[in-house]
Amino acid sequence: MSEMARMKFYCDDKRCIECFACSVACAEAHELPVGISRRKVVTLFDGVEGKEISTSIACMHCTDAPCEQVCPVDCFYIREDGIVLHDKDKCIGCGYCLYACPFGAPQFPRDGAFGHKGSMDKCTMCAGGPLETNSKEERELYGQNRIAEGKVPMCAAVCSTNALLVGDAEMVSDIYRNRVASRGKNA
Amino acid sequence: MANTWGYGAMTNHFGDIVGHSKAIFVIGANSAVANPIGFKHMLQAKDRNNAKLIVVDPVYTRSAAKADHYLRIRSGTDIALIYGILHVIFKNGWEDKQFIEQRTYGIEDVKKEAEKWTPEVASDVTGIPAEQIVQIATLLAKTKPATVVWALGITQHSVGSSNTRILPILQLVLGNMGKKGGGCNIIRGHDNVQGSTDMCNLADSLPGYYGLADGSWKHFAKGWGVDFEWIQKRFFEPKWMNAKGFSLAKWYQGVLQEEKTYSSSPIRALWIQGTGITSMSQTLKVKEALDKLDLLVIAEPFVNEAAVITDKKDDVYILPACTQFETEGSVTATNRSAQWRSKVIEPLYESKSDEQIMFEFAKKFGFYDEFVRGMMMGVKEGKIQQVKKDFVWPDDASDEIARIIKTIGLDGWTAKRLRKHQENWHMFDPITLEGKGPMKGEYYGLPWPCWNENHGGSPILYDVDTSVKEGGMGFRNRFGLEHNGVSQMADDKVTVKGSLVQGGYPEITKDNIEKVLGITLSDAEKALIGANWKVDYSGIIEKKCMEKGVAPYGNARARAIVWEFPDPVPMHREPIHSPRTDLVAKYPTYEDQKNNFRVEVKYKSEQQKQDWVKDFPTMIVSMRVVNLSGAGMLERTSKYLSHITPEMFANIHPDLALSYGIRDGEDMWLHAPHGTKIKVKAHHNVSVTPDRICLPYNFAGVFQGVDLSANYPEGTKPYTIGESSNIITNYGFDIITQISEYNAGLCRVEKA
Ligand code: SF4
Ligand code: SF4
Repeated sequence: MSEMARMKFYCDDKRCIECFACSVACAEAHELPVGISRRKVVTLFDGVEGKEISTSIACMHCTDAPCEQVCPVDCFYIREDGIVLHDKDKCIGCGYCLYACPFGAPQFPRDGAFGHKGSMDKCTMCAGGPLETNSKEERELYGQNRIAEGKVPMCAAVCSTNALLVGDAEMVSDIYRNRVASRGKNA
Repeated sequence: MANTWGYGAMTNHFGDIVGHSKAIFVIGANSAVANPIGFKHMLQAKDRNNAKLIVVDPVYTRSAAKADHYLRIRSGTDIALIYGILHVIFKNGWEDKQFIEQRTYGIEDVKKEAEKWTPEVASDVTGIPAEQIVQIATLLAKTKPATVVWALGITQHSVGSSNTRILPILQLVLGNMGKKGGGCNIIRGHDNVQGSTDMCNLADSLPGYYGLADGSWKHFAKGWGVDFEWIQKRFFEPKWMNAKGFSLAKWYQGVLQEEKTYSSSPIRALWIQGTGITSMSQTLKVKEALDKLDLLVIAEPFVNEAAVITDKKDDVYILPACTQFETEGSVTATNRSAQWRSKVIEPLYESKSDEQIMFEFAKKFGFYDEFVRGMMMGVKEGKIQQVKKDFVWPDDASDEIARIIKTIGLDGWTAKRLRKHQENWHMFDPITLEGKGPMKGEYYGLPWPCWNENHGGSPILYDVDTSVKEGGMGFRNRFGLEHNGVSQMADDKVTVKGSLVQGGYPEITKDNIEKVLGITLSDAEKALIGANWKVDYSGIIEKKCMEKGVAPYGNARARAIVWEFPDPVPMHREPIHSPRTDLVAKYPTYEDQKNNFRVEVKYKSEQQKQDWVKDFPTMIVSMRVVNLSGAGMLERTSKYLSHITPEMFANIHPDLALSYGIRDGEDMWLHAPHGTKIKVKAHHNVSVTPDRICLPYNFAGVFQGVDLSANYPEGTKPYTIGESSNIITNYGFDIITQISEYNAGLCRVEKA
């Protein structure tokens, strides 16, 4: 990865079939409580001929992340590679980020059972959090740190149709561009 | 399928669809939900080949959402649709005349039947607009190669065995068989279904589709190192050896005997290992039969719902079987290729592997030695004999299979080779399956037939442009040498690439080998050789065939007429419970069947008992949800998977639901013609039209409105339970295979 790498997700809605593999694998990998979806699969126009469309949504790790800008306690930080993370020890659970986020990515616990995972939880692109990398504490609070192990985020690794792409923005757009360019070209 | 050209399995493979298909005709399959990874290949074909995806389904599925053309068909009218398409093809002269002339038999009869099926007639029966039928026929005729894909939506009908013939016929007429990007790609619904089918875990055949004739039993007796008479003595009378047993679909009549049965005794004990009981139809009958049994034994990793739906209190045993992760061995993928799997962990707690359970069972019953001897056999000096005193699991089991199963060419599937493929899977091309480097000359997983230990497998069946050595072959000679005076051999012009025998030839036997191959056998060879290629342990037939580039099973014609079936050419017949009473008169079902799988089966008497649609006006279509498989007993124990579908539901069109005053999310009753009912949540959804509802079959644990939670052994209740849709699956069974008519039926909706 070059110094300029910016990690991005992209979900190709011509491919996504609402199989839920990405969101279930995410929940399993990070041992999330049921009902907390770091990654959500949605289908629009369900059953409407010619219109139905499915896609998978999580934190998009925005370049000028609105969540970071509105957070009153400054708990967000953006890594060099563009991954947007937050410090759960600082987070006060006010919910401002949810208002600011265009994708509904921040998740809030519904009951006490979630308390130990902090006030707000969201997709980390499998990059853990501010605690010591791959420590027990990091794992408990933020889930696996697959990026530190050189692995692809769980969701994209299991995507059954290769709809969900992740990686350096340039690589993602290259893959997608090739796919679109060959579409209908008999290539 | 098997009755058309020899084998009933996927002819091509997923990589081939990506690589070569220009059109993909999917009927009776919702792969986006049932086989997401398989479906990826169709999406890739769309992206890479500009392949046109056509989806035919009674409901607008997730697969349909990705299609270029969606045809909304009425359940149970697939034959009418295909005849409509064939009508257009024949009328325009778009059939592949050379292919038909040289490699098929009986297409003339199909053509005659197709004449009746103008697009308008087909449209009236199927509900698909006539113009769309013409459009799709044109597309298929002009877009080559096209592949046809199907699954259980085709087989699970009273006319299932005609459905599975009309689609191969379509491909024969189009000349798409034995071609890259063509073929009939039947997709298996679960892991290793192809493997269990190949091993014939069925009531009507020995492993490898050998059937139940004495000759087949003798072949196995030899391979297992036991006396034929010893096996025979284990039956009540010798004749039961050759009689089909009860089928999974109607075994309960063996207990209940409400319909006439033909067996040596009623069924008194039931052993369940590896099948979800609520995935069978007529669940109330199943329950009543379970209640009446003397003994019920269940060997499963999760509590089988058989133990939950029954009221039986005593003599019910649940044995903990371990999962696939705690065992080792080979499984077979949908495209006939093998895959070796390693054990990940030792069996947890006191659970045991399936084979351990069977070994213990055999010991108790006193036939352990005979049970395992097959694994200690080998072929030495051309003769099958015991070659060692002990066995290694699972390698010796795999080798035993390879040694015995010649019908589908498992000869080359030794444990050693399968392990090598597992270790080197990165050396294979995912599109062509061809091996590279040290694996050159082999296709991934050695798709059968894999004729010997040096053969690389056959990725595409019936491809005459490839040599037998590299996986090519003609159609199998399975139905005799001639019919009505017409030779069943392929035309003289159809010479399999590299074959030294010109044109068609019969399956190879001891009697014809010298003549067909033009060779002379030595006396020693004559003494060793088996009666035919299927039972020849000496391997001489296979060896001589390979030397001549000949497939041991022959090079014959595919047949469009199956003369031993009630419908020699497939005929449209209305489902047993049809919404179109007018069409029932015109296209009635079969006469009642006296004895199939030891029990009588109602057809006409049930179909015409009353005007069903009057009281049961809504069609039922079954569906799967992506997070659950089969009866769902495994997945419903996962909290994340359960969360996706937390309750049993039915998709119902808002217009239909609201006409009964049922709001979105409210409960409703669904009543079946045979007097059963289930209570489910109404999901307003426009993927269904107002004439039909659609419901998943993956739930159990609630029975006709009664919650059975208390029946689960402590700590085993899954996260979600619900009504099993099969409680209301209508009566109806295929005339040949006896599979239930899951996919066509009627019900009455009622506000709960
Ligand atoms: S939480 Fe929302 S706003 Fe913040 S980076 Fe993720 S997608 Fe952007
Ligand atoms: S795994 Fe892929 S196809 Fe399945 S829901 Fe997620 S993004 Fe869509």
